[in-house]
Amino acid sequence: MRFAAAITEPTRTPDARAEIKSPTRRRTLKHMLAAAALLTTTALTGIGFGAAPAHAEDEIRIGVIYPLTGAAASTGVELKAAAELAAAIVNKEIPAPPGLVAGIGLPNLKGAKIKLIFGDHQGNPQVGATEAERLITSEKVVALTGAYFSNVTATASQVAERYGVPFLNGESSSASLTQRKFKWFFRTTPHDDLFVGNFFTFLGDMEKKTGDKLRNIALFNENTLWGNETTKLQVKLSEEQKFTIAEKILYPAKTTQMTSEVQRIKASAPAVIMQSSYLGDAILSMKTYKELGFLPKMLLANDAGFNDSEFLKTMGKDGEFVISREVWALDQAERNPLIKQVNDLMQKRSGVNFNGNSARAFTGIAVLADALDRAGSTKPDAIREALQKTDIPASGLIMPWKGVKFDASGQNELGTGIIVQVQGGQYVTVWPFDVATKPVVYPMPAWDGR
Amino acid sequence: MTTATILSRKGVGTIALLALAALLPLAVTEPSQQNFLILILMGAQMGVAWNIVGGYAGQVSLGHAVFYGIGAYTSTMLLLTLGLTPWIGALAGGLVAAAFALAMGWPCFRLKGHYFAMATIAVAEIMQILVTNSDALEGAVGLYLPMDQSGWGVLIFLSKLPYYYVILGLLVLTVLVSWAIERSHIGYYFRAIKDEPEAARALGVSLTRYKLIALTVSAFLTAMGGSFYAQKEMFIDPGSVFATTISIKIALIAILGGVGRLTGPVLGAVILITIEEYSRTLFGSTGSGTDMIIYAAMIILVAVFSPSGVLGLLGDLHRHLGRHLPGAKPAGGETSAKEIRP
Amino acid sequence: MTADILIQVLVSGLLIGLIYALVAVGLTLIFGVMDIVNFAHGEFLMLGMYASFWAFAIFAIDPIVALPLTALLLFAVGVIVYQTVIRRILKAPMLSQIFATFGLMILLRGLAQFFWKPDHRLIPHSLVSGNIALGSVQFGLPQFVAALGAVGVTGALWMFLHRTRLGTALEATAIDREAATLMGIDGQKMFALAWGIGAACAGLAGGLIATFFPIFPEVGSNFILIAFVVVVLGGFGSVTGAFLAGIIVGLIEVLGGFLIGPEYKTAIVLSLLLIVLLVRPRGLLGKA
Repeated sequence: MRFAAAITEPTRTPDARAEIKSPTRRRTLKHMLAAAALLTTTALTGIGFGAAPAHAEDEIRIGVIYPLTGAAASTGVELKAAAELAAAIVNKEIPAPPGLVAGIGLPNLKGAKIKLIFGDHQGNPQVGATEAERLITSEKVVALTGAYFSNVTATASQVAERYGVPFLNGESSSASLTQRKFKWFFRTTPHDDLFVGNFFTFLGDMEKKTGDKLRNIALFNENTLWGNETTKLQVKLSEEQKFTIAEKILYPAKTTQMTSEVQRIKASAPAVIMQSSYLGDAILSMKTYKELGFLPKMLLANDAGFNDSEFLKTMGKDGEFVISREVWALDQAERNPLIKQVNDLMQKRSGVNFNGNSARAFTGIAVLADALDRAGSTKPDAIREALQKTDIPASGLIMPWKGVKFDASGQNELGTGIIVQVQGGQYVTVWPFDVATKPVVYPMPAWDGR
Repeated sequence: MTTATILSRKGVGTIALLALAALLPLAVTEPSQQNFLILILMGAQMGVAWNIVGGYAGQVSLGHAVFYGIGAYTSTMLLLTLGLTPWIGALAGGLVAAAFALAMGWPCFRLKGHYFAMATIAVAEIMQILVTNSDALEGAVGLYLPMDQSGWGVLIFLSKLPYYYVILGLLVLTVLVSWAIERSHIGYYFRAIKDEPEAARALGVSLTRYKLIALTVSAFLTAMGGSFYAQKEMFIDPGSVFATTISIKIALIAILGGVGRLTGPVLGAVILITIEEYSRTLFGSTGSGTDMIIYAAMIILVAVFSPSGVLGLLGDLHRHLGRHLPGAKPAGGETSAKEIRP
Repeated sequence: MTADILIQVLVSGLLIGLIYALVAVGLTLIFGVMDIVNFAHGEFLMLGMYASFWAFAIFAIDPIVALPLTALLLFAVGVIVYQTVIRRILKAPMLSQIFATFGLMILLRGLAQFFWKPDHRLIPHSLVSGNIALGSVQFGLPQFVAALGAVGVTGALWMFLHRTRLGTALEATAIDREAATLMGIDGQKMFALAWGIGAACAGLAGGLIATFFPIFPEVGSNFILIAFVVVVLGGFGSVTGAFLAGIIVGLIEVLGGFLIGPEYKTAIVLSLLLIVLLVRPRGLLGKA
């Protein structure tokens, strides 16, 4: 384009080409200037970084790493709010309901306060590791928690492992995280082995209950660490338990359309879809099911996007009857009053209910505070030892778990999963049948029959 | 003033700078600060490597992540499957990336300007998708480096210091290669291709051949940077080494400092990584997007007020002052700072 | 595979392809007039979606009814962006321009998160909702209306460029700025106009898909790669090319994803782009 050439002309000078060959004084000076600038900037940043913020002696700093910008920021902000509520309870800024773990504060540490230092990993494993390192060495945190994304938890916990700082993960479900033989890694949530196993047990139970065959399943998982591991487990269990995989799709996350995916699934006519998606994709896939007038008998979601507080808010009645694995549901308050009491605190403070993710984030901080108090010290070894000796009864938790107790790999062996279904704009527990508050609506009512 | 004294003066400056870089970790002892310095050096190394093809030869690649990723995956796979030391693994990664560059450059160099840039993005994105779906490379699950080993043999360290010196060494190597190219006849041809492609062709310079040389060398060095990433972070997955955001960041570093200048990308890395890390650590934890706003505002300001990079800005400043200094040469725009257009 | 399914897949591909076309025509227009690649184009789309959302949430105006408003608003955004940032980098090298629009992209995302929170939103019930079934082929009314809107807007843009004085002046500036200036056309005004119209097109696309696509600050990143592919495939600067390429990309993406595997759908589209570029280095209808 001529216009382009025209505007570049004035900057071109006759001696320009001559300069290429012979270095001139001007260039030398320029290099020196650049070097000076580089040194100054480096020096300044060194100073900036060196000035570690002073903090009070009785303040125990805990590093919390979440995705606070980027595609998962909405979840990250929710997790942050839950973690802050837990800290406020530990610090006695909010009176704790009786019996709640960590509700007593930190008496063994002379009532010291915990302070959460947040880091933003932006959904990027390298940034997660960088933040972990900064929090440990610069912010002097005594323990770390986070990071929601399994692959970020992987890198961030590696850093903690190297520095010998306890890393308590509350909400990443990739099974491989606790298979790494780490000394400093603890996880309160059950992992995908258990969740996927629950799916198949649930399907077996449903077959008995309804007399229908639910052996023909479609796997529809996003193509990430989480989706991949889930798929592998689902394939393995399908083979073991004689289920047929009608279609297996690993779709690229954050896509503009899901019609090719849904068409394939529709063409394979499965009885059940098992789906793993984060929020944006969960919404888009539901819209696409509806657009193409397709519904299986049962849509089994793998938590995440389908259980996000915003899923129902945005989907309205189109989100009804989705079945999802969960670790938390408000209706479990019938069996554990703490669930409602703490949820009320959350409502009051942030205006939202807990969900599976934020309840686990809350529990992560509470378990960590419990260990801190029992350790009676902020030394990493003491905290680690206390974590290993953790034995929290079900009655101290806001989770419908049997308790918290870590095995040798750092995995909580008392965690359990439940299965919920969206009914009337609420997630209600439908499985295990003995804790269910409502029967399963089966099969899913057609789009136009609602 | 003779050329010799200039060179020696420049030499002294370079040596002083190097010595300072080598001694810096003595003053900066906190690991997270050292990590910050390492991130800068990593960014600088990528930027200098990119500059060879994007700056000197003027072929704007926005797909350099493909070389970065190839480097990271090659050395890691060799380490995990054959137990091969990353010293050799990184070279192997460089060679694979160079071969890939040749294969991709041949057709892509038929394209000009924006079309070339888009083609490189496409190649890198396709590669990311292929790796994500490759079972042999563990797909989206990614690869872990062994945590139970450390030392110079496996190039895994518990402390930050060895990483600092390894990446400093790699940066020096990259700068040296870049410098050698700049001063050789190859560098001359590169600039000719960039500024006067028609004239160069008329003089019998094979455009494709020299573009290929530029891309291959750049790819080799970028891949070594990728291997270093794997050694340092000890976990790689397609999203963290093949992403287009990395390609763009590499180019941004060079642009920010000043395209086509030896020290431009180094300065660019210092500034960009500093903005990136500081905006995130200071404001990222709010969850309100403030860090993005600040980061972006800085980028836009630089682009608006210093279109030829910070080195260009410094040059303008000097030119402005130089007008009043006796013996100063009249101002002249540096050819290498010129733009690249189809 | 039955013919029914094939037709269904093609229809779905066509519908999404038309949306791609609408997103891309704005991008290619800006490029054609002033040689600048706008990385922030996906964010214009995002702003368009938010404009519709707020019009609905605050004033209860349906996104379809709000379209003119959305277009006007985004036109203003485009002109403001041009006047504050782009005007200053007209003479800058291509790389600095990429840098500036990349910064703009991050800035707009950051501002969206700052003011409207990172939440995902959706317009729950719009005038257009439900499905249309033609025999065994089904598609959503919102998608259909969006595709129809895309055709209308692109058609109107084409008419504007070729049948009005102002549009012709814009085209003339794109072809040869100096000659256009000699003819008495104000280049600066034309540039601002290009940005306004480009942004408005993206905004309209945002308004049209807001009825079925989740709205969040990062939503632009889902679309930007595809938009670039469409622009390049069609040929930088060619509105007709972008329109055709949008349809092709939509069809190939959905069909390829269906036949070969959804995990490769983007790779298929990108491979197609590379193949076309090898044969036609300036895209389908790009100007030399």
